[in-house]
Amino acid sequence: MIKNYRLLDLIRRQRTPLENHLIDGLVDGRVSRREFIRHGSLLGLSLPLLGGITTAAGFGAMPSLARAQGAPGATIRVASSVPAAAIDPVTIADAGGLLVMQQVAEFLCVDGPDLVLQPALAESWKPNADGSVWTFTLRKGVKFHSGGEMKADDVVASIDRLADPANSSNALSVFNGILKTGASKKVDDYTVEFHLDAPNGNFPYMLSSDNYNAVIVPASYKGDYEKSFDGTGPFKIEKYTPKVGASFVRNEDYWGPKALPERTEFTFFTDVQPMILALQGGQVDIINQMPVLSGVALLNDPSVDIISLKSSAHQQLHMRCDDGPLKDARVRRAIALCLDRDKLVAGLMKGRSALGNDSPFAAVYPSTDTSIPQRKQDIAQAKQLMEAAGVAQGFKVTLTTERYLEIPEYAQLIQNWVKEIGVELELNILDQGGYYGDAVFGKSNWLDSVMGITDYGHRGVPNVYLAAPLKSEGTWNAAHFKNKDYDALATSYIAALDLEAQKADAGKIQKLLLEETPVIFGYFYDYLTATAKGVTGVQPTAMSQLFLEKASKA
Amino acid sequence: MSATETIPAPDTAARRGPWAEVFFSLLRSPTFLVGLGIVLFWVACALFGEHFAPYDPLADDIINALAPPSGEHWFGTDQIGRDVFSRVIVGSRDILTVAPLATLLATVAGTALGLFTGYFKGIVDDIVSRILEAFMAIPVVIVALLAIVALGTSKATVIVVIGLSFAPIIARTVRSAVLAERELDYVAAAQLRHESALHTMFVEILPNVIPPILVETTVRLGYAIFAVATLSFMGFGIQPPSPDWGLSISSNYGMIGGGFWWTVLFDALAIASLVIGVNLVADGVQGALND
Repeated sequence: MIKNYRLLDLIRRQRTPLENHLIDGLVDGRVSRREFIRHGSLLGLSLPLLGGITTAAGFGAMPSLARAQGAPGATIRVASSVPAAAIDPVTIADAGGLLVMQQVAEFLCVDGPDLVLQPALAESWKPNADGSVWTFTLRKGVKFHSGGEMKADDVVASIDRLADPANSSNALSVFNGILKTGASKKVDDYTVEFHLDAPNGNFPYMLSSDNYNAVIVPASYKGDYEKSFDGTGPFKIEKYTPKVGASFVRNEDYWGPKALPERTEFTFFTDVQPMILALQGGQVDIINQMPVLSGVALLNDPSVDIISLKSSAHQQLHMRCDDGPLKDARVRRAIALCLDRDKLVAGLMKGRSALGNDSPFAAVYPSTDTSIPQRKQDIAQAKQLMEAAGVAQGFKVTLTTERYLEIPEYAQLIQNWVKEIGVELELNILDQGGYYGDAVFGKSNWLDSVMGITDYGHRGVPNVYLAAPLKSEGTWNAAHFKNKDYDALATSYIAALDLEAQKADAGKIQKLLLEETPVIFGYFYDYLTATAKGVTGVQPTAMSQLFLEKASKA
Repeated sequence: MSATETIPAPDTAARRGPWAEVFFSLLRSPTFLVGLGIVLFWVACALFGEHFAPYDPLADDIINALAPPSGEHWFGTDQIGRDVFSRVIVGSRDILTVAPLATLLATVAGTALGLFTGYFKGIVDDIVSRILEAFMAIPVVIVALLAIVALGTSKATVIVVIGLSFAPIIARTVRSAVLAERELDYVAAAQLRHESALHTMFVEILPNVIPPILVETTVRLGYAIFAVATLSFMGFGIQPPSPDWGLSISSNYGMIGGGFWWTVLFDALAIASLVIGVNLVADGVQGALND
């Protein structure tokens, strides 16, 4: 690798100390190219600049994501789940609804399939020295479908609306403790500052497509989004029929390259099987999200292409740390040692997942410390731990969970595996409403159960996973895990701007969680989208979004 | 008259008594015998299935999941590699525990209510009958949902839900029979003897309305089997990893579209065969009692 130090020096002169530290990490080999590109995008470095730096550092040019452009004018037909409630940027919380909304409305930045942040309505962003204030520069000349230009007032109003507890915003799960209402400030028409409650090194992800509520709508928006479907996106609403479907037409005034499809049609389905039949029968071109078990038949279907995105989505197996036999960390470790994770990945998930190591640090995160040894099935060690904990004879415990995706099958595999150490699991599998209840302690099978398995969707950064289900005061802390050392490490990780500092904290967190094992992370599953052969240019995200502006049909 | 007068042999039927005649009539009924054969087969599977099932019905083999029927796995394997044939064999246990117990509960409660309303007639009959009719108008599934919310998911809940849902139907049948019986002389005689109402209902009338109760019970058992399977399919009551047929269909029906028909078909056939078997038995019993 030949390094162009002259060019690197030139670039370094115009960068901040934080950005230069990242560049140094790449040059010294402490940071890989993939990590560099992803973290550089987080700090607001443009993709061309990142490409220039990697070339100068001797890594060659960045791989081009550009594809041959397909023919324009197609009508792309999508099978999607039914929106569960009225579509509103503030309250939307389901895959069907957010998919429809994302067709017309856009984010400041987009978390791409490789978890690299890409500019959208914001052209660039940068933190202050400690990451407590982030400044976003907006794109000029962007027009809403209703006619007005998108400016800082619209961004401030959109984000303030989401951060306001009075609005029952779904985005509060992201903004709580990070961004208060009124903390988004207009600097000028095209610049907005976000003043955070505390330093946060991953904040741009919270304004990206990762936070699916964070679309920018006009400042004048007063609710009832289904009447206007106003936004800045490459498609405009043509027709929306609740519970049935929606159609969109190309936005000829779009700020970027015009969308290739002339129309898109979305048909809502309540179950995956009819979607599969519709795809096989040629009634739809795309199934937006296909669970691996339900869609196993399509995985080897020659008439179907599968887009498989590595993601951080997973099933958390929590164990109560404050009561009963699971209070002893040795017992929790023993249970974790019973899982045959290789079989989970190869068998249950048909190879469409990555191994979990009992922490939220999935392989997709650049901050994950990959030097931490992978936990593997070890029944002998598990028995020793049970004996040391004084429960060699085993015990009986109830595992409560939800009927969703592959969770019931996962629970039955765990039930079989822990039998080997004398643990008798009784399964209590509920529908999702029964499992989540009111989602507050004391009124939720999820949060009150001794053991439970809960589905967690993809996040571009692990902040939510680190805080809500694991911090002592976490609102989703079903394990009732209270550990001051962990809390401090998680806070430190979340605040860290520097990738190497994040990695250092991540390693400590990974070790601590392996020791304590309040939650078992068995695997991180891929996000699968199925398309009919000949349909190209489809770009899904692991957050259930689907970008169709480059889609075409052969 | 000769010294060795031949005494005519008494009529066979008269010698046996009515219940013995019913028994022998059943033995002559092909419908009953075929139905009984099917039911006894599944009862044997429920009691001893795990001894002749080729694999442990709960043992997973995840790497060999969704294997099609073969010499090794006659009915294929399911989503976590369990042998479907072994699960179908052992899967009769839960349904043949829950459905008969629910039917028994329905019969006991329905008979008591039917005796009560039929015997007292009048305003008592009017009020209780209207309440029962109102209860019968509510679908079992709705009652099950309410009960699950109130009592939690368990086999006991399913037994109570189905038992109480079917009790009004049996009560109506028993009431009709009691209304006819209470006008007969033996009831008037009991009343003249100042027997208590309970004595008259349960000692005098009940033995005479056993035949319709028997028929209704066997018919209800078929419906109860179907109801248990339906509730299991909907996720109420029986929990994984039970190889219960309804639960297995519920867990695997999403695989049909993918061509994995064997994960569902054999459980569905098992339910159908048991329901048919019970219905044939019911037809046989009804025929024998009518003869």
